[in-house]
Amino acid sequence: MRRIIRRLEVVEDDVRYCGEEPAAGARTVLPAAQWIAAAQAGQAGGADAVLLAPADRLEPLAALLGGLSLIVVEFPSIGEGRGFSQARLLRQRHGYTGELRARGALRRDQLFFLARCGFDSFDLDPAEDLHAALAAFRSFSVAYQDGSDALLQLGRRSHPTRASG
Amino acid sequence: MYRYDQIDQTLVRERVVQFRDQTRRFLAGELTEDEFRPLRLRNGLYIQRYAPMLRVAIPYGLLSSTQLRTLAHIARTYDRGYGHFTTRQNIQFNWPALAQVPDILAELAQVEMHAMQTSGNCIRNITADHLAGVAADELTDPRPYCEIIRQWATLHPEFSYLPRKFKIAVTASAADRAAAEVHDVGVRLKRGPDGEPGFEILAGGGLGRTPIIGKVIRSFLPQPDLLAYLEAVLRVYNGHGRRDNLHKARIKILVRALGVEEFTRQVEHEFEANRAFAPRLQAAAVERMSRFFAPPPYQALGDCSPEAGSDGSGDPAHDAWLRYNTRRHKVAGYRVVIVSLKKHGEAPGDISAPQMDGLAELADRFSFGTIRSTHDQNLVLADVPQRQLRQLWQELEALGLATPNIGTLTDMICCPGLDFCGLANAGSIPIARQIHARFDDLDYLYDLGPIEIKMSGCMNACGHHHIGHIGILGVDKHGKEWYQITLGGSSAAPAALGEVIGPSVAKEEVAETIARILEVYVRERDGEDERFLQTVRRIGIEPFQERVYETHHTPA
Repeated sequence: MRRIIRRLEVVEDDVRYCGEEPAAGARTVLPAAQWIAAAQAGQAGGADAVLLAPADRLEPLAALLGGLSLIVVEFPSIGEGRGFSQARLLRQRHGYTGELRARGALRRDQLFFLARCGFDSFDLDPAEDLHAALAAFRSFSVAYQDGSDALLQLGRRSHPTRASG
Repeated sequence: MYRYDQIDQTLVRERVVQFRDQTRRFLAGELTEDEFRPLRLRNGLYIQRYAPMLRVAIPYGLLSSTQLRTLAHIARTYDRGYGHFTTRQNIQFNWPALAQVPDILAELAQVEMHAMQTSGNCIRNITADHLAGVAADELTDPRPYCEIIRQWATLHPEFSYLPRKFKIAVTASAADRAAAEVHDVGVRLKRGPDGEPGFEILAGGGLGRTPIIGKVIRSFLPQPDLLAYLEAVLRVYNGHGRRDNLHKARIKILVRALGVEEFTRQVEHEFEANRAFAPRLQAAAVERMSRFFAPPPYQALGDCSPEAGSDGSGDPAHDAWLRYNTRRHKVAGYRVVIVSLKKHGEAPGDISAPQMDGLAELADRFSFGTIRSTHDQNLVLADVPQRQLRQLWQELEALGLATPNIGTLTDMICCPGLDFCGLANAGSIPIARQIHARFDDLDYLYDLGPIEIKMSGCMNACGHHHIGHIGILGVDKHGKEWYQITLGGSSAAPAALGEVIGPSVAKEEVAETIARILEVYVRERDGEDERFLQTVRRIGIEPFQERVYETHHTPA
């Protein structure tokens, strides 16, 4: 059973992706385009979780965010960085308040940046020791930029005012 | 200069702790090479041809004497006793041991330094005019903005995994000593219609294998919008810059592919859409930052040698140094001294630990304890009382740091090349030595006037060869080192890219080729006042091509 970090806790993953064995009680995460088409046709059923690829645009999703409780942002390779912008836009511009998950070629070393951009759950590389990784959320007690990690209640101090007044 | 407060100090200390753990995990096999690479690069650590190389950040080229002493200590303790200043105003150590790098970073953190974002696909060190604050021709000191941008860019959560590296230069002078036109983003300080502070913003410049001059994307950006606008540029780039091809991933390729109008439209759209969330730069924050860069306590001194060339000493060596290695200062009685790291026989930009210590002491005695690095790989003591110039010269001379060749042919820019770098196709340092050996007659160099040679050992162009008056690019031909020559490049506004004169020349023939180019210049020069670059622009490259390729020349 896959394990993830959600809100600073290591928990069993409760979702399945296309191509994976369905499991009892597990939600299925649909590719964004597929879910959007279904939702627009009023046929999303109970599906409320989507998978966002790096090149996916947010605009088509923006009007439908109320129907979602989980957005999984994919980081298919080391160094892929588009998901950071997608997360920040979802949280700030589009006001998305549901679960926002980072998934892919990620280790604990990216958790600080991911959390700052508004992710609150993390499906890391299988090699990662998730319990040890939890400490990485507290790598930095200060930051120069505004962050969207209030959800995680890390008590980190942001100091954008030093630059931006 | 800027001094760390509790926040800055905490951040660099926590960064050291983080990297120590990352290094431990890598050495223990918990992180793969592919996973560790982006982490170490973001801390300035390359794995080079022979050893790791650590690049330490010198934000906008400003150093205290204490910091320079620490660099000397690091060179002695962890390296082979020297360091190398780069074309981005940073310093590199070529021989540290991987396991000791966290200790080096801890030593740096003690003196308010770090190696963050000196490499990797993130926002790199912010570069600036090395004469900031002392140049008479600047609008206002650009360094407060540099430090503001540095802080904003440091560990930026959204822009730490960009398609490729991202370089920002800030300049406040029309002379553009920061080469803003060949950066991913160039920021030029400017006044608005009512005299309010702001910026002209350029984007999409860069060298590397596809050299492009940056385009103006905003002719006037009000001061409060600086960081918001940079965020908009970075967000468009992060979303749309190519990630499928390393060589097409810089912002210049995106700007070119979209066209500057469409790129600008997207940036402006993002800028507007993000207004409610973007940081705003308040005047009070700029004022607060500006206080760190207030002028040092200058004495009321009169000009005693207002023009370079002579202080009446009658000593030609001293006069030559005054003329070539000092510059006008905006405050009467002071002069800017350029410390030459281009001594015959030394690799351009190299400096030994004793020289660093010696220079730190001279900075304390003669220049308010600060030193600057320049993008052409020299150092600067910016605030020297004119009446102490002679004494300073003697002491620099004793340290081997007073070669009177600034702005001349042998004041070359040069990357580490094949001797150190894992990317290089050909050597740069041996070519610099060859040129030094061939052109060792200072009087001849003085007659030639200002000529910039810039040299890169591969097309990544760390040596900025495209914008050299004479550019030299090392290429590999069937396992042998060859060199392609360009003419007519310039980093000074308006920037220009050099033109290739023809087939590359063999390693032994580089100095001879340059001699032939200079011969044509001397012959065609329209009076003594016409500079090399002007002659090239006036007559074009053909006369040079004719002479260079007229016979198959053999090494002397």
